Amino acid sequence: MSTVLVLVHHDDGVIRKSSLELLTLARRLGDPAAVVHGDAGDALAEALGRHGVTTVYAIAPPDPESYRPAVEALALAQLAARTAPVAVLITSGPSGTEVAARLAVRLDGGIITDAVQVRAEAGGPVATQSVFAGAWLVEGRVRRGTPVITVRPNAVTPEPAAEPVTPQVERVELAEPVPAAVPRVVARRAKAATGRPELTEATVVVAGGRGVGSAEGFALIERLADELGAAVGASRAATDLTWCPHELQIGQTGKTVAPQLYLAGGISGAIQHRAGMQGSRTIVAINKDPKAPIFQIADFGVVGDVHTVLPALIDEIAKRRG
Amino acid sequence: MALRLILGLLMTAVAFTVAGRRLFMLYRLGRAAQPADPGRTRGGAARLRAELTEVLGQRKLLAWTVPGVAHALAFWGFLVLALTIVEGYGALFQRDFHLPLIGTEPWLGFLEDLFVLATLVSVLIFAGIRVRHSPAREGRRSRFFGSHLDAAWLVLFMIFNVVWSLLLYRGAQINTGNFPFPGGAFASEAVARLIRPLGAGANDVIETAGLLLALGIVLLFLVLVVHSKHLHIFTAVGNVAFGRRPRALGALLPVYSAGRPVDFEDPGEDDTIGRASIEDFTWKGMLDFATCTECGRCQSQCPAWNTGKPLSPKTLIMGLRDHALAAAPYLLAGDKSRVDALATAAAQTPLVGVDGVVHPDVLWSCTTCGACVEQCPVDIEHVDHIVDMRRYQVLMESSFPPEAGVLLRNLEHAGDPWGRGAGARTEWTDGLDFPVRTLDGERLPDDVEYLFWVGCAGAFDDRAQRTTRAVAELLHTAGVSFAVLGGDETCTGDPARRIGHEVLFQQLAAQNVETLNNAGVRRIVATCAHCFNTLANEYPQLGGAYEVLHHTQLLSRLVADGRLVPVTPVDATITYHDPCYLGRHNRVFTPPRELLGSVPGARLTEPARTRETSFCCGAGGARMWMDETIGTRINETRTDELLAGRPDIVAAACPYCVDMLGDGVALRRQQDRVDEHVVVTDVAEVLLRSVREPAGPAAPLTANEPRKAQP
Amino acid sequence: MKIAVLIKYVPEATASWRFADDRALDRDGVEGRLSELDEYAVEQAIRLAEAGAATEISYLTMGPPRAVDALRKALAMGGDRAVHVVDDALHGTDAAGTAAVLAAALRRIEADLIICGMASTDAEMSVLPVMVAERLQLPAVVNAAVLKVADGSLTVERDTEDATEEVVAPLPALVSVTDRSGEARYPSFKGIVAAKRKPVTTWSLADLEIPADRVGAGGAATEVLAVRPSPPREAGTVITDEGDAAARLADFLAANKLL
Ligand SMILES: Cc1cc2nc3c(=O)[nH]c(=O)nc-3n(C[C@H](O)[C@H](O)[C@H](O)COP(=O)(O)OP(=O)(O)OC[C@H]3O[C@@H](n4cnc5c(N)ncnc54)[C@H](O)[C@@H]3O)c2cc1C
Ligand SMILES: Cc1cc2nc3c(=O)[nH]c(=O)nc-3n(C[C@H](O)[C@H](O)[C@H](O)COP(=O)(O)OP(=O)(O)OC[C@H]3O[C@@H](n4cnc5c(N)ncnc54)[C@H](O)[C@@H]3O)c2cc1C
Ligand code: SF4
Ligand code: SF4
Repeated sequence: MSTVLVLVHHDDGVIRKSSLELLTLARRLGDPAAVVHGDAGDALAEALGRHGVTTVYAIAPPDPESYRPAVEALALAQLAARTAPVAVLITSGPSGTEVAARLAVRLDGGIITDAVQVRAEAGGPVATQSVFAGAWLVEGRVRRGTPVITVRPNAVTPEPAAEPVTPQVERVELAEPVPAAVPRVVARRAKAATGRPELTEATVVVAGGRGVGSAEGFALIERLADELGAAVGASRAATDLTWCPHELQIGQTGKTVAPQLYLAGGISGAIQHRAGMQGSRTIVAINKDPKAPIFQIADFGVVGDVHTVLPALIDEIAKRRG
Repeated sequence: MALRLILGLLMTAVAFTVAGRRLFMLYRLGRAAQPADPGRTRGGAARLRAELTEVLGQRKLLAWTVPGVAHALAFWGFLVLALTIVEGYGALFQRDFHLPLIGTEPWLGFLEDLFVLATLVSVLIFAGIRVRHSPAREGRRSRFFGSHLDAAWLVLFMIFNVVWSLLLYRGAQINTGNFPFPGGAFASEAVARLIRPLGAGANDVIETAGLLLALGIVLLFLVLVVHSKHLHIFTAVGNVAFGRRPRALGALLPVYSAGRPVDFEDPGEDDTIGRASIEDFTWKGMLDFATCTECGRCQSQCPAWNTGKPLSPKTLIMGLRDHALAAAPYLLAGDKSRVDALATAAAQTPLVGVDGVVHPDVLWSCTTCGACVEQCPVDIEHVDHIVDMRRYQVLMESSFPPEAGVLLRNLEHAGDPWGRGAGARTEWTDGLDFPVRTLDGERLPDDVEYLFWVGCAGAFDDRAQRTTRAVAELLHTAGVSFAVLGGDETCTGDPARRIGHEVLFQQLAAQNVETLNNAGVRRIVATCAHCFNTLANEYPQLGGAYEVLHHTQLLSRLVADGRLVPVTPVDATITYHDPCYLGRHNRVFTPPRELLGSVPGARLTEPARTRETSFCCGAGGARMWMDETIGTRINETRTDELLAGRPDIVAAACPYCVDMLGDGVALRRQQDRVDEHVVVTDVAEVLLRSVREPAGPAAPLTANEPRKAQP
Repeated sequence: MKIAVLIKYVPEATASWRFADDRALDRDGVEGRLSELDEYAVEQAIRLAEAGAATEISYLTMGPPRAVDALRKALAMGGDRAVHVVDDALHGTDAAGTAAVLAAALRRIEADLIICGMASTDAEMSVLPVMVAERLQLPAVVNAAVLKVADGSLTVERDTEDATEEVVAPLPALVSVTDRSGEARYPSFKGIVAAKRKPVTTWSLADLEIPADRVGAGGAATEVLAVRPSPPREAGTVITDEGDAAARLADFLAANKLL
């Protein structure tokens, strides 16, 4: 069977879930060969074997400081030239997309991004994309060069292979030097664990409205925000009632936010409020009125009392985070 | 005798030279300004009527009884006093001069004395008002806060001097036998009796000295007048004559440059867009500034000023006048390099800016509610000036409160203020138990009576949707056929125009006019007071002439015609809030009240400020889309005024007002400052509740209304 | 320093988007605009020019004739000139083809710094910046939140999932900026009028010496086999709290990688 190159990421030998998803898809297309950065220890190899990986290519980085996406793209290009894979699978995301883009140019072939499904067909793997905010599904394939496909995380459920195999581990030295003119990461600061992010820049926003009932009720919103490392926002009703500072107001006469997650507690979702948050990627609402307009735009809604749901949620998250 | 003539003429010559130079400078300043829009001289009859009622009749002044009467006395007093001045000049040449024809009639003598005294009374009343309402006592609440107080007192003092010197001279004239009137001049006669014991010689001297004194004081007064706010006694006549008729409310004027409307598709190289500096104002603007009497009537009604914001329409106009005068030497100079430093610095001060003549907070605080224009006794056009300054800021500098950027982008890209887009425009029809005809580009069928203009709020705002549905249901019940444009409707452009973005307004409006004209629309009904105003008053500027009704007008007709019958009692005290753009701007005061009055059981109460003096909800002038952080919230102030009458229902007739007041009541409810059951709603919903049979579906009034949340 | 900004003309977010019969995005039937995310790129370029770090800003787009509106919009915000690559043969071009065309155009524009948006708002692939950079053999830094240029190098601050990184690359280089990089200005009418007088050059494929069979749907390295509307997105899940809401909500967050 033909090879499928899979760029696998791991944390100290523990394979990331998104990589497991790639391997699950790869087995449908051919023989998965995992490409990993750095040494592949026995544990990692064994784990990869459980997921049907027959060959592990361990890239020896020329220098630990080298710009990782550039190294990965070079390695994949080199391996693709050698193994003529049916596809290269990479996880979608800033760094995966960067690797895929470089690779596709080097291989002078086609690229498909953010697939939610990939299946084998006679003419080569067919990828399904969910586009225009999920309104349309597009099926496409690469018809020139090696297909480079990035896959959206969480699109498939990772499963181990029916029968584990023992993979061969091969160390790959880069045949080509990493170009001199690549970016260099000169500093990395772990995201501050304390201190809330700026409201308009936060990836998660927890906002409270009149429904929290009091300044003490608003403190629940703040506690949940801290649990999630989120910024705190508010409806105008909550700021007018001085339960929180005016700067936190979101909406038509306040801030406009578009985080990955917007969690609203006790907010009805008036148009003036929605104007400032409707661009959020995922909207979660907790409100005791099932007819509250916020539920029309919520991806997940809880009809319930913030005074019971919020404390329980804070505990639940703390528990899951260990 | 000769001495008195020479002295008199000399005084006159000096005063006329000083005053004349000043007037000539003011005239040149006016000439240096931009030409005004061409409508300023059209409609002679209306202009004449305005002169008769507002100037001669003192209509707007008399709306405030005490100061109004005082001013009317002074005004008419001065008209009559003009005769005594003529007599005085005559007396310079001929000691016993009298006016031709009627000059010796006792009734004229009586009239003259009567008005001399009237003037004195008015001075006393004015002084009383100024003491009682002095800024020192009342602070910001005083309408004189920010006025030039010393100058005002000086003027009152001068009028007082005119009065006594006149009486003194007339009394002496009687004693010397040179008085033209054989009788009637009762006050002069009283003075004559008082000074007669001094003897003939003394009276002779007093006559001459008194005459010269009286004329001198009048001349001094003249000089003072042309250098102060009292210039209005000359300019008010012109300002009223050239004012916008019937009033500078309703429509805004298009952007004019050099007296011609600006073509934004292909603007001229040196078109002035809005007002970048003082010389960009038109001569009518300059006349406005020159005419302001600093009376503060505008300030007393301004919602921005009354809620602690820096904007006062009075100090705005005063500031522009003071700036124009300070910069005048520079503006009028041929060789600018030789102008003194102060004037040069003034001319180079930016018009709008943190260190400018007008602070941005002042400019952006205005809700364009029109209370100032309504009040102003000399018809100053504040709203137009404010919008003109905004136009420059937005169009040329792209400078405006940042929150408003979201509004402008949404209007541009989605055609509505919230960025919902055309696709969602008919969502409000979901769940109605009758179909709503949507044109979607088709022509309006002949059997359809009205195009129902839903408006952005009416289509997207949860509270306003209730009004939209109520009106649709009422029209349906009354058997009125109507249709909506659906996705082809876009924002009328009101917020864009009022924030100063004329280009965006023109785009939106042109698109709507094309849609409406293509559909063959002639009659429109709108629920939003702002849409109503724009459609009715501004679309004609773009070739869209329709008969536009506000829903309260149409519904009250239907009730009057018996096509809608309110049957179910609504046992409630209702306070009606006049929306600025329905009431003041468009004079629709009665229909909403008739509607509420037709509902059995309803008890209508009026808030303290109502009709022409209604207090803004805070949303107009695109303020709806700007944050309000200075002072207190206008909507809260208005809510408290309305709640003072302890109503069960606060009714309004505009979605902006319903939102603003609804928010205010919800806040007071959470603060336990108003009873749980009080609701804010549109007049139409009250009517609908009453038109529906008692057994019908539950009253819609309280649906969606935010309840008090439990802690 | 010369800057080139890559901008894309995309359908309005509120328009109803659909595919035409040839399975390409129907761009004729809908209103278009300068991609909102590219406005941030334009903004950064103008800020660099205002700070004196850049001497000239050129915009480049590849798109249908109406894409010139996007160029005009950018020019109204600021900048000096624009290049529009337009050719009937380009209809249906995929990412690889687009990258080839843009790279060819950029070779002629000769910029020291190329600024892109983080993604288009229609296809949202986020690949073009890097593909173009790879073709031009330039260093690329994606998703910049803060961007500085000094002494012939580019310094970028950007957020990754768990950290804030500072990345440095020598010029010439390419950078893509996020919507966190600084609010884009609202063009004034003065700017719109000025934009009408700024030069917009049109290049065809022939001008760029690119064979027509390498682009368009025919020359694409990918092909679209089928398009269909998704089953109508179930309105979000709404559950009623029966004591288990917190756990179910946490499950939802976990399943969407939001915990
Ligand atoms: C000009 C203008 C500008 C405005 N600008 C903004 C703006 O920028 N931002 C903004 O947010 N608003 C703005 N508003 C106000 C807006 O119209 C709404 O009034 C406001 O958003 C309502 O806030 P809320 O949802 O917190 O309160 P409410 O609408 O009162 O909603 C409270 C919600 O909490 C629920 N609730 C109550 N108790 C509980 C409980 N124990 N558990 C769970 N749920 C509960 C209720 O069911 C209700 O849905 C503006 C209004 C105007 C007129
Ligand atoms: C729904 C959909 C799915 C698609 N899927 C694929 C696919 O899987 N594989 C494939 O090869 N093609 C695909 N295409 C075709 C693809 O849209 C075009 O080839 C496009 O040029 C790719 O870039 P993008 O719009 O995703 O841009 P991105 O890579 O998201 O754009 C990032 C930045 O690049 C710059 N840029 C992008 N396009 C242009 C341009 N035309 N002119 C100037 N600058 C630009 C801008 O700065 C932009 O912010 C798809 C198209 C659609 C509509
Ligand atoms: S229009 Fe209203 S808010 Fe504006 S200055 Fe006049 S009174 Fe004040
Ligand atoms: S603008 Fe009019 S109302 Fe206001 S102070 Fe001047 S004269 Fe009086």
